[in-house]
Amino acid sequence: MIDFLQRLVDGVSLGAIYALIALGYTMVYGVLQLINFAHGDVFMLGAMMGWYASSVWTSESRNPSIAGALAVTLFSMLACAAVGLLIERLAYRPLRGSPRLNTLITAIGVSFFLEYGGQLLFGPNPRAFGVLPHRASSVVAGISIGYVDLVTILTSVVLMIVLQRIVFHTRIGTAMRAVSWNPSVAALMGVNIDLVISFTFGLGSLLAAVAGILYASKYPSVHPLMGLMPGLKAFVAAVLGGIGNVPGAMLGGLLLGLAEQLVSGYTSSSWRDAVAFGILILILLVKPSGLLGRGAAEKV
Amino acid sequence: MPFFGGSALKRTGKAVRSWLPFFIAIPFLVLIEQGIALNPALRLEYVFQNINHIGIAIILAVSLNLVNGLTGQFSIGHAGFMAVGGYVSAVMLMRGPQEDPYRIFFVVAMLTGALAAALAGWLVGKPSLRLRGDYLAIVTLGFGEIIRVIIENTPFFGGAIGLSPIPHRADFAWIWAVAIVTILVAKRLRDSTHGRAFLSVREDEVAAEAMGIDTTGYKVRAFVISAFFAGVAGALSGAFEGNLAPQSFTFVRSFEVVAMVVLGGMGSITGSTIAAAVLTILPEYLRAVANLRMVIYSIALIALMLLRPRGLLGTREVWDWWRKRRPPRAPGRREASEALIDVRHATIRFGGLTAVCDFSLEVRPRELVALIGPNGAGKTTVFNLLTGVYPPSEGTIKVLGRDTRGLAPHAIAHLGCARTFQNIRLFRELTAFDNVRIGCHHLTHESMAAAVRQGELSDQEEKWVAERTEELLEIMGLTHRRDELAKNLPYGEQRRLEIARALATGPQVLLLDEPAAGTNTREKTELMALIRSIRDRFGVAIVLIEHDMKLVMGVSERILVLDHGVTIAEGLPREIQSNAKVIEAYLGEKYAKEHAAQIAAAGSPR
Repeated sequence: MIDFLQRLVDGVSLGAIYALIALGYTMVYGVLQLINFAHGDVFMLGAMMGWYASSVWTSESRNPSIAGALAVTLFSMLACAAVGLLIERLAYRPLRGSPRLNTLITAIGVSFFLEYGGQLLFGPNPRAFGVLPHRASSVVAGISIGYVDLVTILTSVVLMIVLQRIVFHTRIGTAMRAVSWNPSVAALMGVNIDLVISFTFGLGSLLAAVAGILYASKYPSVHPLMGLMPGLKAFVAAVLGGIGNVPGAMLGGLLLGLAEQLVSGYTSSSWRDAVAFGILILILLVKPSGLLGRGAAEKV
Repeated sequence: MPFFGGSALKRTGKAVRSWLPFFIAIPFLVLIEQGIALNPALRLEYVFQNINHIGIAIILAVSLNLVNGLTGQFSIGHAGFMAVGGYVSAVMLMRGPQEDPYRIFFVVAMLTGALAAALAGWLVGKPSLRLRGDYLAIVTLGFGEIIRVIIENTPFFGGAIGLSPIPHRADFAWIWAVAIVTILVAKRLRDSTHGRAFLSVREDEVAAEAMGIDTTGYKVRAFVISAFFAGVAGALSGAFEGNLAPQSFTFVRSFEVVAMVVLGGMGSITGSTIAAAVLTILPEYLRAVANLRMVIYSIALIALMLLRPRGLLGTREVWDWWRKRRPPRAPGRREASEALIDVRHATIRFGGLTAVCDFSLEVRPRELVALIGPNGAGKTTVFNLLTGVYPPSEGTIKVLGRDTRGLAPHAIAHLGCARTFQNIRLFRELTAFDNVRIGCHHLTHESMAAAVRQGELSDQEEKWVAERTEELLEIMGLTHRRDELAKNLPYGEQRRLEIARALATGPQVLLLDEPAAGTNTREKTELMALIRSIRDRFGVAIVLIEHDMKLVMGVSERILVLDHGVTIAEGLPREIQSNAKVIEAYLGEKYAKEHAAQIAAAGSPR
């Protein structure tokens, strides 16, 4: 029982990270119907920027103070938001309105550019990462909760509440939802579509940066290809919850994290990566619109 | 069908001749191998290693082109299928006979591997191809990764170290013979009615279904064939290199093949071939900047999408080989039944909105029925119900005596019910000629295998299709536009081309959705004459949605009026003109009352 609860805690912590990344996928898909393949690499950049910042600002790159960690995270969020905006402006905006296949190919191109460009700058080898101090776990009723896990869960909850406020209770959030329902009508109602799309990319990248820092602290290392797998899994989480649906992405992320931890806990951890794609194929078979998604029929 | 005699002989001869390029190539390949590649004095080992890599890359690129280029889907897990084929055949070869002088066992192992890959393709494609292209991208990517995880964790497949030594069975001649076969198969498929079906899926899935093409079926077929050849490439690769390791089947490998297809041109077989050669050789010369390779690829890909979205060659080919067409056998037409369309009490709701309520319609052979009503009355929804785009919430719909419940749009098109679209849905990037030819698709009988063999039937059918298409283009006055891309035609001609395409499916009922929209008065008069002549010439019944009252009154024999999804009147044109409810629906209650008063006033003195 303790064993099961322990995995539950680990699953929630991992799932929270997936959810943060999945939110970026789902919001961009909502407004552009584009799978932003490069999102996983923005996540990687988030961790990378964190590594740079912490190694520059603190003589000791491991275990900086709380304020230091906050500053590092803030820096990496801003840097990632800038990268996200740049990607949208340079690679995706010129292709708006062209066939989906073209934007998809471009997205994959951007993703590879970031990964292998990162490898050029950073070298292919992983580096140790310690923005969050690896303190001893606190043990509650026999379940050990790592400091990083605790921070992860708390941060995610706070961010998701903030995001929920932004999407459902602000002017720009309303505009985002309007664009996702019908961009051309939203434009006619005076919504600046370019601005909304840029904002969406920026917001998604901010969340990805935080996720990157948290993930890199959990598995304390960074390397240029680290975004590939978590990125794909977060996409699966977004599809699971219903792509384009913000609460769906949170739910999907949590479920995926739990499923992974439970499967790898009870079988072998090497099968972990297969779980996500098994779930993806299953959900495509049974309910392609996802758990909370709306079914979209093409208008004839 | 005669089993002996001239016909059978002729057919065998034809089948042999159709593979002539292949048979001619074999001795040359063997000669090159014996004389040059294996000649130790020439020291060409390294060169031929590259040449063989090119051959394998060509098989991969040309086969992926079937899915990503022709059919417009997006698979990025080609390396996964390659791995399946490679490992299955490698395991067989390593446990097979030591000596295999005639390579019979090798061929068996290669085919087994390819079939395993095809099966994997079917398992992956079936669930994901029902959905839009970008899901396929993710699923295939995931599949590729899963396959690698499985291999790395299975001692039977050598785990992370890989399999070695695999008997060297594939060499220059084998690899290039298979590459030539792959190119021939791809080319013949593309030039057949099936190739046009693939293209139509890429251009517009809804229109393709309406033309009787089973879009999901064709996507799955393209995907399975492509996986098959990826499996072959994997088998060849293993038997050539002598070892297989999971590290060579990563996402990067898949991405390289995608880059080949995209750079070469989406749909161009020669483009894929050339790009495969260039992208295989290039890294050899870029050794110095090996780290930059993937960066260069990705930038090239982005730049290409921004500047030349269809790839360097587009769908065109560098040259056209062996173009030929021969004699026909016309597929028969089905017989007409009493009521062609029989709708009883059909209702459809979208959430809380009842778009069409209790709708009944009977269309008899050669009838001209018009469906009119204000905007949002549910007219197009009726067409969507008839063609199976939406299933009715209640009621029954029979097309040519068959209940359409559970039938996909393409199956209803097969029954003999064709349509045009309110917002024209031509295959925009295809020529007028090809648009109409795709309409003929379901009337053809040749199998994919026959198309690859280029059997007699397929030649006859191709000719028959071409003649039928020319005739339809002529009737619609579009002969001069034959080879122009549909998107470049003027608006009125696009409408006519859509009618020609619908007629090509050999319908007994033709549904025209606002054919006169956006045309001027003169064109409308011509269109009226055209609609009548279509009815007389093809003996079809026509159901027409139209706003132009002059056209409706002039051409139709019976009119149904819809308002807010409810049929408010039905009758002869003259009855409809004076129907109070219709006037009210169109002009409002106030005007209707005035009108009624006028009639009453005019009628009273008598």
